[in-house]
Amino acid sequence: MSRSARPLTSARVLHKIKALTTPQSTDYVVNRNPRNLERLRIAYKPGGYHLEKPGRSFWHTLEINTSGRYVSADVKHFENGIILSASTSEWAIKQQLYKTNDTAAFINLGRVLAHRCLQSGITEMTCNVDAVPGSKLQKLLQTLQDNGVSFKEPARLENTQPWDAERQEKPWDVSEQSLNTTEPPKTDK
Amino acid sequence: MSFSNLLMKSTANPGVFLTVTRQGHVLRGKPPGVARTLEQRLREETVTDVEVAARVNIGFPQLKESRSAQLKTRLEHLKAQRASKQLEQLARNNKLLIDLDKVQQIYVKTTGQHDLRLLADHYGVFEHLYGSAYFVPRVPLTINYQLGEGLLSPVHNGNVIKPAEALKAPEISFDGKIDPITGKTATGDTYWTLVATNPDAHYSQQATECLHWFIANIPNGQVKEGQVLAEYLPPFPPRGVGYQRMVFVLYKQDSRLDLSSYQLAEQDYANLEKRNFSTLDFYRQNQEQLTPAGLAFFQTNWDESLTQFYHNVLKLKEPVYEYDFPKAYLSDQKFFPLKQPFNLYMDKHRDQKVLNKEYLERKLAQTHPFEGPEQPLRYPNAHAIRDVPSWLRTEIRKRRLGQGRVQDY
Repeated sequence: MSRSARPLTSARVLHKIKALTTPQSTDYVVNRNPRNLERLRIAYKPGGYHLEKPGRSFWHTLEINTSGRYVSADVKHFENGIILSASTSEWAIKQQLYKTNDTAAFINLGRVLAHRCLQSGITEMTCNVDAVPGSKLQKLLQTLQDNGVSFKEPARLENTQPWDAERQEKPWDVSEQSLNTTEPPKTDK
Repeated sequence: MSFSNLLMKSTANPGVFLTVTRQGHVLRGKPPGVARTLEQRLREETVTDVEVAARVNIGFPQLKESRSAQLKTRLEHLKAQRASKQLEQLARNNKLLIDLDKVQQIYVKTTGQHDLRLLADHYGVFEHLYGSAYFVPRVPLTINYQLGEGLLSPVHNGNVIKPAEALKAPEISFDGKIDPITGKTATGDTYWTLVATNPDAHYSQQATECLHWFIANIPNGQVKEGQVLAEYLPPFPPRGVGYQRMVFVLYKQDSRLDLSSYQLAEQDYANLEKRNFSTLDFYRQNQEQLTPAGLAFFQTNWDESLTQFYHNVLKLKEPVYEYDFPKAYLSDQKFFPLKQPFNLYMDKHRDQKVLNKEYLERKLAQTHPFEGPEQPLRYPNAHAIRDVPSWLRTEIRKRRLGQGRVQDY
């Protein structure tokens, strides 16, 4: 075998990797939308370490900060940092509240953040917040979930090889019409 | 790569690199703590020149109103809130639900502008439209797609709208009398330009956008009275490319402008070549007269309605794409691979076309030309496989259970 005679150098490995990653044909398109691959579950997601707490394995995560007077909730991206936020110290919210850190404030903050999440198309995120059952914090998290935010982020799609036993269903093969759901149509609110 | 290289390095500058032996184990490279972490090394590799990457604000500045005057009215308002018995009752009973519309109205006038800028950066909008420039959207845009029966599909900042919902031009409204710098009502006529582009739609040139809608000289926010330079073309994300962005940018004009060089002829409505557009070039040419003031965008992906749209409107064969996953790295084939199942090992390194042919031929041999393929076994593991070598037994079992390569054919 002639191939085995060739020594395995780092240059050769690099050459092989380059050959594998260059597209075979010229007939390809690139979608520049940086959020596209996350929606398609292909994008890189940090793994973290399995004993690490809180975990680092997310695209988007929810962070809640409470101070003596205010409470704020932020959605954080693993690369871009805070991208969405709502706080009871904001004039838009504070204006209508009685107190800025009572249960009503927590619940309303959840409603506002959920509204902003839906407006910005970021509805799936992880949540590493530990809330005591029945607490204000837990009510905030519950309100977020009731208003259309999911705390389960889908796992990254594995790159299955032909010799693997199982094949994964590709998210883009499943269209909404084929699912035949009876969802109510979108409304303004 | 090899160990000899490392040894050579250690002799070249022994002060920096030492081969450590710890309990019989040789530690390669610098010890932890001295060596840089992967994150540090990646940061050094992707270093950017601060001067080159410096971003320019091309939007309107904002004159803030006097903090003391603002604080006075706000404190008065809050005092009245705290004094309200009714509000207290609602809050204490957890029944206080604030008006989200009102929150949104104040939000877009206050902190919402900066938040929208951050979110647009998260979606790469400024980077792909203006390169290193950005702007803070000062004029809130209200864009609604009419779905009939009083239903609306609003465009906010990144929500998903399906092409079937975006077939007709949306209704756009904004406060055309607003002065973006002071946020108050201005006197005199104002003119605006609205451009809707898709930065992800181009098939061959990555940096080019597709122009979907272009209205210039909108007087005082009356969008219907504007000069339509390019009629509305619905978004057409091809199957398999995922989510594309549709970006609406509102510019404020200094005066009436003659942008007729951008006029798209009626017969070119579906001519995608003519709809090539570069927001950066457009802005560079007209930056003396135009200032970006408003922004809204949504994401859209393929749905079944687009097949008809491609055939009837664009007169194109519908393109279908699939994500090209990177191929697995295989080490060079060995003459004598130890501890490898020979059949699977050979299959990985064989010509894939020959392999495909083999699998297809085997499948077709079991398919009756009129009656179709054989019925699958009801209990595939209940049938004994006798008098065959173990590798073939495994193969047959996998074939019966539909595991491995058989699924691809």
